Amino acid sequence: MTLNHARASRLLSAYLDRELDAAETAAVQEHLLDCAVCRDAYDRLRATKALLGELPVAEPPAEFWAAVRTPQRARPATVAVRRPVFGRRVVWASAAAIVALALATTPLVKGTIDRLHASEIGVDLYVRQHAQAMSAEPFVDRAYLGLMTGDADLVLSGDATPAGAAAR
Amino acid sequence: MSRLRLGRGLVAAATLVLLGAGANLAAPVPQLPVTPDRVLQLALDAPRLIDYEGTKIITVLRNGRAETVTAAEFHKRPNMTRLEYLSPEDVAGRLIVDDGATEWHYEPRLNLAFDGPTMDGDPLRGNLSLLHRNYRVTGLGSEEVIGRQAYVVLLEPNGPGVSRELWVDQATGTVLRTEERDPSRGVVLTTYFSRISFSLNLPAAYFRFRLPAGARVFQMLTTTAESASPEALARQAGFPVLVPPVLPEGYTFSGGAVSRFGSLTSVYLRYSDGETLLSLFEAPAGSIGAPAFGQPVRVGGQPGRFVDLGYFRVVIWEQRGLHLTAVGTVPTDTLMAIAGQFVSGQEQALVHTVSEKAAVDPEIVGRLRSQGLTFTEITRAVMLSQALQVDVPTAVQFLQGRLPATRLARDLGVTPDALQQTVDGALHRASSVGPQLTPPRR
Repeated sequence: MTLNHARASRLLSAYLDRELDAAETAAVQEHLLDCAVCRDAYDRLRATKALLGELPVAEPPAEFWAAVRTPQRARPATVAVRRPVFGRRVVWASAAAIVALALATTPLVKGTIDRLHASEIGVDLYVRQHAQAMSAEPFVDRAYLGLMTGDADLVLSGDATPAGAAAR
Repeated sequence: MSRLRLGRGLVAAATLVLLGAGANLAAPVPQLPVTPDRVLQLALDAPRLIDYEGTKIITVLRNGRAETVTAAEFHKRPNMTRLEYLSPEDVAGRLIVDDGATEWHYEPRLNLAFDGPTMDGDPLRGNLSLLHRNYRVTGLGSEEVIGRQAYVVLLEPNGPGVSRELWVDQATGTVLRTEERDPSRGVVLTTYFSRISFSLNLPAAYFRFRLPAGARVFQMLTTTAESASPEALARQAGFPVLVPPVLPEGYTFSGGAVSRFGSLTSVYLRYSDGETLLSLFEAPAGSIGAPAFGQPVRVGGQPGRFVDLGYFRVVIWEQRGLHLTAVGTVPTDTLMAIAGQFVSGQEQALVHTVSEKAAVDPEIVGRLRSQGLTFTEITRAVMLSQALQVDVPTAVQFLQGRLPATRLARDLGVTPDALQQTVDGALHRASSVGPQLTPPRR
């Protein structure tokens, strides 16, 4: 199995999390040996995830897990289970803390991945727009500009190597 | 003996050929039966008047090497285009269909379609004022291209940049062949029709894209807001926008836009010299990473990247809290010089210098800057307004090619020749007063 640069770069996160099958893992490893851009992206992604791993994780109190683990059917349907008001507050506070942590870290991960992706697409996005705008100038060749925008489209969709990367 | 005669014959023949060639070299460039300006107008008007279909051969630097691309090109008047790429293998089957409103790009091997804005949304077409101001247009005679008589016209920029030679079909005005020459690298792009048919009435249905079954569609309509003012663009984008202080002679602000692609918001400023474009893209620093490829460079003391795409050149750097990308066809040194102008703290000093040297209120300079004008353009506009005794906005309109010389001459009650003389004098004085683009120190 051989991966092109764009596909390999999209599998880096899953590769880091060991979510790929054996063939995909081998293909990503093979690509990383050849591609400095992906090695760099992989190192940055690994560093980001390591940083995230160092964030303190709020440990929910025992009552929270007890409430989660208690099967609904084990409770008599007709009997209302009453817990102390303080206990319910702790459960809600713990759940809110977990949600807040997830909300706080999601943009961090997403932002990093966006930036990794943006670094790959930046030149192509702008070259596409430049080529598109060039068509307003007199006597430019549409077939050539079409070729440039077509190449950029493929990179932006993740199906080709970024412009300039081939010549590096 | 016969060998000796043959040898003498060859020498005589060679002498005659050389003499003939010498005479040919010394001969003046043949005059066109029509003026070069008329040929350009003919070429500009042709797409609105005729349909054609042909096979086009493009040779260009692509992916780091010279490559020849073949495409079937169909055009229906006034503004519909269909391009079917035939070779090389990586583009074979690629289809671009532009109905004048939307452009579709389809990749059959991936069953992927992209829809974006038309490549014909063209406010500048029909107006060659800017081109005439910034290029020397020379008629090089007539030549035959694929059995058709063509006028040959050369466009050479007054400033640094690519020159372009056009072979324009005498009967229809269609450009049959082009050749673009970079001062530092020679020919960078050639295109020519190897076959072409006119007098057709191509069906409009051929220029409407039909999405193949199961095709994935990507929206490439990235431009969300067009505006003529960087000040308005900054408000829309939510971050400050930097206007280039100095650009090569002739480049003038031709518009801007805010574009959004995923989570990336960029401001796009366009500068045209009437034939080619310089683009500047700005995004908040950190919202986009620098590419790992290209050549490492220093821009205004900051690290940057230079990416050579063959025909287009790109420089990327960060400055004053922004990620900046400049794209153009100007020589590498010129592009680096443009990028190097964005140095902090220079803006106010340049406002002061220009207002003093051009004898104009600093407030007017500031206002023109917020409209996207470079300091060079401002100096030219102010000195032109003084020479012609018109207001500065009229001078700006004229310099940007939005006010044709014939109309201005009529409004001022002077002959076009007299106007041209005054303009030349004012612009010459402006070039000795206004800031110039200086090449970066290596």
